[in-house]
Amino acid sequence: MTAHTVPGPRPSAVLAARYARALDIAVVVAAAGWQLAGAGPLLLAHLGSYSSDQFQVAAWCAIALIIAAGSVLLLRGSSRRETGWALAAAALVISTAAAVACPPAQMLETNWAWGAAGWVGVLVLLRRPLAELGVFLTLEALAMFAVLARDGLHQPNVAAFITVLAGSTGIQVAISVAARTLDVPAQQAEQAATREADIAARQAVADQIRGARQARWLELRATAEPLLSGLAAGTADPADLAVQRACAVEAARLRRLFAEADDTPDPLVHELHACADIAQRRGVAVDIETAAQFPGTQPPGAQLSGTQPPGAQLSGIQLPAVPPEGRRAITDLAIAVLVNAISRVRVTVTGTVDGVIVSLVCDSPADPDLPSAAAGLVVDSQRDGQSLWVEGRWNTA
Amino acid sequence: MEHGVTVAIVDDHPVVVEGVISWISADPQRRITVTQVVSDITGLAWPRVADVLILDLELGGRMVTDEVAQLAASGYRIVAFSAHVDPALILDVLDAGAHAYVSKDEGREHLLEAVLAAAADRPCVTRSQAKAILADPRPGRPALSGKERQALLLWFQGMSKASVARRMSISENTVRQYIDRARVKYATLGRPAHTKDALLARAIEDGLILPGEVAPYTTFASRPRPALS
Repeated sequence: MTAHTVPGPRPSAVLAARYARALDIAVVVAAAGWQLAGAGPLLLAHLGSYSSDQFQVAAWCAIALIIAAGSVLLLRGSSRRETGWALAAAALVISTAAAVACPPAQMLETNWAWGAAGWVGVLVLLRRPLAELGVFLTLEALAMFAVLARDGLHQPNVAAFITVLAGSTGIQVAISVAARTLDVPAQQAEQAATREADIAARQAVADQIRGARQARWLELRATAEPLLSGLAAGTADPADLAVQRACAVEAARLRRLFAEADDTPDPLVHELHACADIAQRRGVAVDIETAAQFPGTQPPGAQLSGTQPPGAQLSGIQLPAVPPEGRRAITDLAIAVLVNAISRVRVTVTGTVDGVIVSLVCDSPADPDLPSAAAGLVVDSQRDGQSLWVEGRWNTA
Repeated sequence: MEHGVTVAIVDDHPVVVEGVISWISADPQRRITVTQVVSDITGLAWPRVADVLILDLELGGRMVTDEVAQLAASGYRIVAFSAHVDPALILDVLDAGAHAYVSKDEGREHLLEAVLAAAADRPCVTRSQAKAILADPRPGRPALSGKERQALLLWFQGMSKASVARRMSISENTVRQYIDRARVKYATLGRPAHTKDALLARAIEDGLILPGEVAPYTTFASRPRPALS
């Protein structure tokens, strides 16, 4: 069974892109959140204790701008090494300068710029190999250590430095690693979604088939029920030729209904055989022949191209596939002729370049009531004495 | 034909042989005489005692398609009479030099006609042959006109030639010409055989085709023979 093909990108690709997008947004929120909720309040709390408040505020604003620029680049999908590293380097220089300008020996309390460069690094190097972030975070740690050394390497500060380093760098590295490992669950989710879509498509097809079958059954009931109740009530006389024909037509339609549910390589010929049965039971010899006309359909020996439409391989002949409504129209025509045949019917199905030609030649004294022409089926007939020729041409092109 | 047509039957099914003999003896003009009945090709009399050979293509469970050319070369006009209806097989047998192909379903209707036509070197196109010609996929197949195709298709569908004529608004004779011309075009194809030459010569004599229309031989020798089940 084939699933419905959805035009546009594969659902899996859409899903993977959605995952990547969510992660980008999470990193942007984390970096911006750190700057606004972490570094911002720290700076505000210590305004007045810096040698130059304006310089610290300007540095904070510069970092904020860099985060904004990095966010835009990330959300736009840019992964250029030059821009990423330029922004990261600028953030490192600014945060180091801000740390240097902090009051001596109060580094831990007043330095809001701890870790700011690290977040910028995560933000702008997210789409770069993990090693690049490693290099950048090492540079940041060295810069911080240099600032501390210049400050005099107070023991509590060094301990705090290691704690801060372990904390912030740990989180940053964890997020970057997570961003990459998320690809695995993303693939699993992708497969699950594909399976789900497949099941949904199968379900839809099954529903359609069931619906169509239901509709056909209702249609049959509309014609078969009155006939049966007429026979039961005695209003329809079984000896009446018209009643016998009506019964034969309904029986053929029932047989066709059963045949329609079968899975066969050539449904049209299969359904014609089912319809022919009703004539054969009356002792009418029915002979069904298939042929392919050249130029047109591919024969067995010739190379079959991949674009070959699904068709039937019957007695070595490839027939073009006819949609259900076409088979309906063709078999309705065949039933109308078959119930009137006296002793012989020859049914031929000829595949052509643009469809199929179904013809019936039989001995039939009365002209059958041919069903009103269905859209797409061109019906033609000719009578020569007792012999009747009826042809239906279905265009699949 | 004042002396009548002599025919040999090669078939390993007694029922089929009896059927063929009964059709032949039911002919009011008694145009055909059966001179030999054998169940295998090796049993045929030499020198031959019949003009036409009614040949079952499957003898003792074996296909004898490969022997057709040799039999044609020895002077028999061959009417293949087989239960097979595979178009590729039909084209192969015609290619090998058989005069006509009659499927067992068509026997009652067409076998005598095919034998008489073969004896006179005139074409005879059965419905199964029409189907094979319509379905011929080979690149070197003869070019058929639209009318020839239409006549072949209606004939294949089961119409009588008179009905085909009415349908196409032409005379029955013209319908015969269209169908026979399609068959004669096949006489210039495949391996040369004097039965084909005779068919062509007769067609030209009858005015069915003009000498200029006769294309040189094209061979299908490179085409692999399709496997037969």
